[in-house]
Amino acid sequence: MNKLLNLKSDFPIFSTYPDLVYLDSAATSQKPQTVVNAVTDFYTTKNANIHRGIYQLAEIATTTYENTRNEVAKFIHAGTNKEIIFTGNTNQAINLVAYGWARKFLRSGDIIVLSEMEHHANIVPWLRLKKEKGIKIYFLPINKDYRLDYLSLRDHEVAKQSLSIEKIKLIALTHASNVLGTINPLEEIIPYFRQLAPAAKILIDAAQSIPHLPIDVQTLGIDFLAFSPHKMLGPSGVGVLWAKEELLEKMDPLFVGSNMISVVTKEKATWAPLPDKFEVGTANLEGVAGLASAISYLNKTGYENIIAHEQELIEYGLEKLRQIPGLKLFGPLSPENRLGIFSFALAGAHPHDIAQILNSQNIAIRSGHHCAQITMQVLCVPAAARASLYLYNTKEDIDKLVEGIKVVKKTLRI
Amino acid sequence: MQDTLYRDIILEHWQHPQNYGIIKNPDIDVEENNPYCGDIIRLTIKLESNKLTSSKHVSGKRSASRIGILDKPETKTLNINKVKEVAFTGEGCAISKASASLFTEEIKNKTLTELKAIKPQFVLDLISVPLSPTRTKCALLIYQILQKALKLY
Repeated sequence: MNKLLNLKSDFPIFSTYPDLVYLDSAATSQKPQTVVNAVTDFYTTKNANIHRGIYQLAEIATTTYENTRNEVAKFIHAGTNKEIIFTGNTNQAINLVAYGWARKFLRSGDIIVLSEMEHHANIVPWLRLKKEKGIKIYFLPINKDYRLDYLSLRDHEVAKQSLSIEKIKLIALTHASNVLGTINPLEEIIPYFRQLAPAAKILIDAAQSIPHLPIDVQTLGIDFLAFSPHKMLGPSGVGVLWAKEELLEKMDPLFVGSNMISVVTKEKATWAPLPDKFEVGTANLEGVAGLASAISYLNKTGYENIIAHEQELIEYGLEKLRQIPGLKLFGPLSPENRLGIFSFALAGAHPHDIAQILNSQNIAIRSGHHCAQITMQVLCVPAAARASLYLYNTKEDIDKLVEGIKVVKKTLRI
Repeated sequence: MQDTLYRDIILEHWQHPQNYGIIKNPDIDVEENNPYCGDIIRLTIKLESNKLTSSKHVSGKRSASRIGILDKPETKTLNINKVKEVAFTGEGCAISKASASLFTEEIKNKTLTELKAIKPQFVLDLISVPLSPTRTKCALLIYQILQKALKLY
């Protein structure tokens, strides 16, 4: 038996709502008091606009902002803090790569490899590029165990000669599915792709994984990483793009205007050096201040403890949910390489009604297509109910969910 | 709370919806999805055309307001389209399905003009349970489809 964490008291939302069973952390996490304090503290003791301020308060604000950049760089093992670009969220980070890199360097006929388990954040920017530039997109399939069938690229598609490997310029993949909970084993997948398609750049969408797993961009050997701090205890409205410095140097900014320039004349503008080139206007200063605090909380808790805690909850949740008659789980049945995301269908019940009836028992789950309509099309369902766990959840939360589902069945007479 | 929302009439119309299906050779055929949940509802309607001859109706206010045109009484034949048959399909939630079932019952034999006058509150009154803003969208999905249809036809 692993040692379970007991962290609910660190999160003020649970003292505001003592009966809340929060099972929607895949959408956004709750925030510890320390993060809330860091945001408030920014406004009460540090607030000024950053850069180009000579007075002391502006220096403090700038140092706070840049300190978070250093912390993020350390957190994901970036080569230099210039490689950390603050955006508004994961979507914006991926759009920056789509516009600033792919739109500039990819040509008609080039191939982008995605997967059927991507979030819309990592589909729609590429679909637009497909329409604009005639780029082809290949979707790596999901197999019957809800795992990524990444070998299919070589075994099936290339054999059929419908794809030519040298045309693959980008592989953009989620680290973990926000519907299935599947963790893609990047330590196997990335070397495989590097060998198969050496010319391709690799982008990883870590929005779902980074709250639960440590990320080391050097060890992974990737080119781009995008994530959203609001899913890892941080404030919303802040996103992170990491890319190799050489790539960022070549990329175009997505938005242009203030802060991101070097010289502006009546004729033209030149861009600021990294990382400012990609950070237009005034940033979410208090959000970035809160992010440093979220990283500190995760480091203090320790990923090894988070993984052990969640692994135990995942095993418990799988066991309990599988016992419910009529419940079908969309996701791996084994707890290995899996997050605590339980998407399910209940025979005869629509996910909206499941979520509604659970809500009246103070249980917060999500229902819908989860911004993954392609995954839903593969599963052949319009929507699913989804309960997702994080480090503050307990076995008791899972018990309440199971009891809650019984009430759903009773209410709907199914 | 769920006891009032999932009251008998809702559950009954959800599990045994009225007018569930697709009409062959419909005059109106529209589909709409709820982007929040991915539900798709398809509405098909067969119209009945009644010819109505009227002289008063046409020559009254409308032509009088036109400057420079003589208000000469004329006789016109109007086609009054009425809903003869209506059906819907879709795998919606209990609220959207019950709402579609109740609503399609109500619009039978109504003219297109009457349909255009229907306000969203009419649909919410049919459901007559308090709904959150998100669930209101589920209840009004059938209404949105009808609005889309009325713009097209």
